[in-house]
Amino acid sequence: MKRFLVASTALALPLGAVEPLAFNRDIRPILSKTCFTCHGPDAAAVKGELRLDLRERALKGGESGKPAIVPGKPEESMVVKHITTTDPDDIMPPPEAHMKFTAEDAARLTRWIKEGAVYEGHWAFQTPKKAPVPELADASPNPIDRFIATKLKSENLTFSPEADRPTLIRRATFDLTGLPPPVEEVKAFIEDPSPNAYDSLIDRLLASSRFGEHFAVEWLDASRYADTNGYSIDGGRNQWIWRDWVIKSFNDNQPYDQFLTEQLAGDLLPNATEQQIVATGFSRNHAITHEGGTIPEENLTNYVADRVKTTSETFMGLTMACAQCHDHKYDPLSQRDYYRFFAFFNTLGDAGLAGDRGVNAAPAINAVSCLANPAEAESVRRELEAAKQAFSAPIPEAQATWEAEQRADLVERGKGLRLTPLEVVSATAPNGNPDRIKIQPDQSITIGGGDFAAYNILTKLPVGGPTIRGIRVVFSPSDKSGGKLGFGSAKGLEGNFHLGSITTSVSTFPAGNVDLNAALPLARLSASGEQPGFEVRNVLNTDPLVGWAPPTGSTGPQHLTLTFATPIQPSATPFLTTEILFNYGQNTSPARFQIFALSGNDDGSPNPGNITDILAANPATRTPEQATQLRDYYHQISPEKAALRHQIANLTERLSMLTGKHPVLVMNTSPKPRVTHILNRGVYSSPMEAVTPGSPAVLPPLSEDPTFDKTTGSFPNRPASRLDLAKWLTRADHPLTSRVAVNRLWEHFFGRGLSASSADLGSQGQWPSHPELLDWLAVDFRETGWDRKRMIKLILTSRTYRQSSNTTPALLAKDPRNELLARGPRFRLSAEQIRDQALATSGLLVERLGGPSVKPYQPGDLWRQVSHYGSSPATSQTFVQDHGEKLHRRSLYTYWKRTLPPTNLSTFDAPNREICSIGRLPTNTPLQALVTLNDPQFVEASRALAVQLLGTPYPSDRERLAAGFLKVTSRPPVEAELATLESALKREQQRYQSDEAAARELLAIGEVPSTPVTPPIELAAWTQLASTLFNLSETLTRR
Amino acid sequence: MNPFTYSRRSFLGKTANGLGHVALSSMLLPSLTKLARGEQPNEENMAAFRTIAPKAKRVIYLFQSGGPSHVDLFDGKDVLTKLHGSNLPPSVRGDQRVTGMTAGQSNFPVVQPIAPGKPCGPSGVWISDLLPHTQKIAGDICVIRSMHTEAINHDPAITLINTGSMQLGNASAGAWVSYGLGTDNANLPAYMVLISQGTGKNPDQPIFSRLWGAGFLPSQHQGVILRAGADPVLYLDNPDGVSREQRRAQLDDLEKLNQRFADDIGDPETVARIHAYEMAFRMQASVPELTDLSNESASTFDLYGPESRKPGTYAANCLLARRLAERGVRFIQLFHRGWDQHIAITKQLPNQCRDTDQPSAALITDLKQRGLLEDTLVIWGGEFGRTVYSQGALGSPVAGRDHHGRCFSIWMAGAGVKGGTSVGETDDFCWNITQDPHHIRDLNATMLNQLGVDHNRLTFPYRGLEQKLVGVEPAKLITKALA
Repeated sequence: MKRFLVASTALALPLGAVEPLAFNRDIRPILSKTCFTCHGPDAAAVKGELRLDLRERALKGGESGKPAIVPGKPEESMVVKHITTTDPDDIMPPPEAHMKFTAEDAARLTRWIKEGAVYEGHWAFQTPKKAPVPELADASPNPIDRFIATKLKSENLTFSPEADRPTLIRRATFDLTGLPPPVEEVKAFIEDPSPNAYDSLIDRLLASSRFGEHFAVEWLDASRYADTNGYSIDGGRNQWIWRDWVIKSFNDNQPYDQFLTEQLAGDLLPNATEQQIVATGFSRNHAITHEGGTIPEENLTNYVADRVKTTSETFMGLTMACAQCHDHKYDPLSQRDYYRFFAFFNTLGDAGLAGDRGVNAAPAINAVSCLANPAEAESVRRELEAAKQAFSAPIPEAQATWEAEQRADLVERGKGLRLTPLEVVSATAPNGNPDRIKIQPDQSITIGGGDFAAYNILTKLPVGGPTIRGIRVVFSPSDKSGGKLGFGSAKGLEGNFHLGSITTSVSTFPAGNVDLNAALPLARLSASGEQPGFEVRNVLNTDPLVGWAPPTGSTGPQHLTLTFATPIQPSATPFLTTEILFNYGQNTSPARFQIFALSGNDDGSPNPGNITDILAANPATRTPEQATQLRDYYHQISPEKAALRHQIANLTERLSMLTGKHPVLVMNTSPKPRVTHILNRGVYSSPMEAVTPGSPAVLPPLSEDPTFDKTTGSFPNRPASRLDLAKWLTRADHPLTSRVAVNRLWEHFFGRGLSASSADLGSQGQWPSHPELLDWLAVDFRETGWDRKRMIKLILTSRTYRQSSNTTPALLAKDPRNELLARGPRFRLSAEQIRDQALATSGLLVERLGGPSVKPYQPGDLWRQVSHYGSSPATSQTFVQDHGEKLHRRSLYTYWKRTLPPTNLSTFDAPNREICSIGRLPTNTPLQALVTLNDPQFVEASRALAVQLLGTPYPSDRERLAAGFLKVTSRPPVEAELATLESALKREQQRYQSDEAAARELLAIGEVPSTPVTPPIELAAWTQLASTLFNLSETLTRR
Repeated sequence: MNPFTYSRRSFLGKTANGLGHVALSSMLLPSLTKLARGEQPNEENMAAFRTIAPKAKRVIYLFQSGGPSHVDLFDGKDVLTKLHGSNLPPSVRGDQRVTGMTAGQSNFPVVQPIAPGKPCGPSGVWISDLLPHTQKIAGDICVIRSMHTEAINHDPAITLINTGSMQLGNASAGAWVSYGLGTDNANLPAYMVLISQGTGKNPDQPIFSRLWGAGFLPSQHQGVILRAGADPVLYLDNPDGVSREQRRAQLDDLEKLNQRFADDIGDPETVARIHAYEMAFRMQASVPELTDLSNESASTFDLYGPESRKPGTYAANCLLARRLAERGVRFIQLFHRGWDQHIAITKQLPNQCRDTDQPSAALITDLKQRGLLEDTLVIWGGEFGRTVYSQGALGSPVAGRDHHGRCFSIWMAGAGVKGGTSVGETDDFCWNITQDPHHIRDLNATMLNQLGVDHNRLTFPYRGLEQKLVGVEPAKLITKALA
């Protein structure tokens, strides 16, 4: 272990070489880490008046008056004395700092002083210049290769051979589109005799619309994009219109300077288009709170601070957030610099408490999706039409069976029905006056008004009576609600109530709360009547706004009846707790209700009254209208029509995405912008001096405009704006913007940037492995029009990128981090790539560009267990899974709830998107194995892959296995691998032959049907084989 | 031997010889792989921050989410009876900012504790009669009445106490401990989280995965939720129709194929992945064994109370905490909601206490009986306290107490904590600290200290800073609480 550390240090520092030490490469990192905390840029923290970050101050020395550094004379330099002494009173850093100068560091500093103690400005703050491309015999013409090869040569290393074609196409396809290459493309590439085969491959991949989807992911991390507000209650928001904008910007290869400008200041551009305003959503992606009781000014300060953090890390690679409370400890950024930067983002008209009820916090607009196109709209219209046709097509056999069941049920209905009023132990709601909820002597419960609440009713079950099969909740009119059932004033629900969900559990002790882990499953749900649009079956959907209401205007009792899947045993569990969520907004709560135990058969029908009447009558007397009515109703509930129902709902939403306007949070400028002050220690309530917007003093001036006053850093006649900021960031001599951008592009393809700290190129950041190359690329990027795809092509066509990533222990020991790039890059696929690969390879992937977020499989209702469900009108407090194509969209479209991000993605290191996040740290954990082995998403994909393989004719299982292996890994298996798979297949076949029921259980996982239908034993065995293929380390690795 | 070769047997041999190495035990990330990424392997750092003789091998943190009322539970005083109904003097209130929920009140009437209490244990610390079982373990715990925080609302406060900062993005205390010390049980994660909801207020304030998140630390250090019901760890169970034997055979296939791949391309990461799959397989056995309470005696259930038989309750989670401690899980954290008594405190608080009092006390008694208390640090507490003044009209059934961060009470027990003592005093109004103030970072520093870790040395480089759990302000140990 040690050996590697030493080896790698030696690589970076040619100590033995004749070349003099360079301040930025060799000395600044030591000083920054060890000395700058007390002798650096933070004016308030400077001890003994000594600064070591500035040469003149170091030469002058501190309060002792003796020079800390005497160029050429280490023996006279106080700094050398202090770092080499053993006297605890004199040694620096002092023991309480818990830092130490290593002997190596001390020797280096001494040598540097001896060599003249030449300071350099921090490298990343110097405008990058193109160094001449090194001349090398037999080197590739690609400048990247020449820089890399020069360093390799100095280390006596050479490039590895080019990766083989299957590896190369898999690598490039994942890197550019996030997906694996289809087998046909692999074959075509292997067989392509053209010398330009690789070039054309790259061109084709760059032109794919998947490119934008893939590159968007990193941008969503950096810009902390999510679908919820983040803080506290974490209610839903609508921001996907902005995500669509990002995807399109990448696909259109929008020049990076425009990409930056529109996101920071699109609203300020002359004649700003709607999409340019949409782009500014970048600065509104931050977390927002609507926690009651929070102080608006404090929240607003947090939001602006987050914009500063995100903007500075994302575009400038600077950790400006450090200067919110004090001058930066390591970089020359003062607290004043910080608040001048802050001022750019403090002028919008947002509110400190906003965003509840799923309504976007202002400023927000409605905008079209830039990914909407008429051709897709037309095709979706056609699909929708076809789906509706198919939906209305009669399914007489299934309907006849259902009708017969219903008629049989009618006969049995109400038999032995007995209702026993339950004794109420307690009735509680989270908010409001508890006395408004009263348990009446008859054990009914009255509510004194409407609120958005879940009521927990604890009841005692009668012991020794008839078997309890369910409960009935009876709602009665009350004088308090004007003789009606409820207090509602919502349209259509006047004087009514709305029941969003009902959950019941039993317990051995008086449990005041319903047990969400053991909710009783239902066999039947019925109601005495229903208001159109508020059918009883809606109650099964936990969304508070999708529920049941009895007929509006009812002046007599109405009821809801639950029959449990299995009867309950009061002797074992004498208590029953019911949680009922009422309201729909506007006071739609009931006035009075009572819970009864149900014995015998429910006398109600799960079907609406008019349907029950038709079913009860002689079918021969049915009118055509009645027949239509019955058929239409049956199609609404029939399992056979479920897929079409989902398809119609999904296509309808898609059509709306393609044709309508949708809400998105954006930036604006308030008519009365807030004044920005420097805040003492960063505290919102401690304002000091007022400041105007401006750029950090250490960087180039904000503007070269003649009206701009460089001494004050301001325009005399107007405050600087975000547009000035964007122009400044993209000016030709800005030292950071282009470096940061190309460094992150490099990181995308090599797993680490040329400077490894891609979000921090400041003093504490990493000295680049190839500084000349980084600068060359940075300048080239800007000079060629900030052309992202061009830069990507330059990287991907380099020999450096195309090398094999195979490694030997010797090479790994010499360069464990692959900084020198004597081999190709290799890393684990990202969370999104792993899921998308399974969907793509199995043929399940539904490729639609953009649109609202989707909720694929997730275990249980994790949200409700930690959320404010039942205490707040906020949305996204309960997880309601989607169906149909929304289960199989690319992962970047998965609904991102910040306080509980998608579990199968966060297990693979996806961030929670609460803050700007640049670069993911890939881990390798057992929980990841559990996801790819057991998550229904992956089990279903395994089944779908098995269906594909079995549905294709192959001469033998051996060839079928080889085809599966090729599909998943992009290469054919070798004999040993095939042998392992063959024996595995035999074993799995035997296993399921002995237990066909197990096969059927496995195949029931996931909602997509297995078509064509295959014998279960065979399909289950192949499903297991597909699972093995998806869990190969090779499958999870991009190499 | 080929350096990339791995066999299950050799791995098991290695684990039998000694755990405690972070790379192995904390989700098995071999150092070679870490080095390949440019990270420092933790073993290198361990000596640097483990400079203190450890008293605790593990922590059980009973987090009471919502802000338990210190005035009513641990800091009641007779003088409040006299002051009851009087207006909180502005001189006491000072410049303390109050939340938007009571900022508009025209007066701030003092409310005495809603229930009587009595001096308990050797120190005579006041404990409410709402907590009769806690009163009985007063000799084992140290009540700290002088905790303070600058946060006055839930999200920032709960984020601060769990991650050391009100800002988003930091690592939770449990993740820090996992990063620093790993686990003693290679078959379970180092940091496990259990969630429950009390009947005091249902539902109460939301909680969030960031509270047990890894923040900037590598994600394997995030807390793993142990849930009630099927799949106690997400995705733990094999799919229906796949047996354990079948899975074993599948993993053997994968090992063969993956080992071949690792040899072929020279990939330590794949070797690490083989280890990870094996640990996943072992977790599939160790977690159900952990959550199976059928071997617990009737007297144990009696100790924890009737709710302990019901998975998902606070009581059941306390019992599980003991089982996790027995199995060497390093950081065990319960999150129990329901303490946010803005309204109807006289109804809500007794319910909330009834749910939590007996199981919390039982855990201490149980750990003690089994000899585990001496090396287990137990912490009970929430994110802030509550105001002495009434939120809402004095005496109204709706009245409650607002958030209060200037002082609040927690207790600690076990692992070098001086039982039967108390630390800190507040003024007559339970409003300001008059003696031994301790910020939340002091609590975190003390917790690390008991684990043998110097809070200034346990660091992780991120965004240009050596990040620490205690943050940038100096932290001091709560020395008076320590033996």
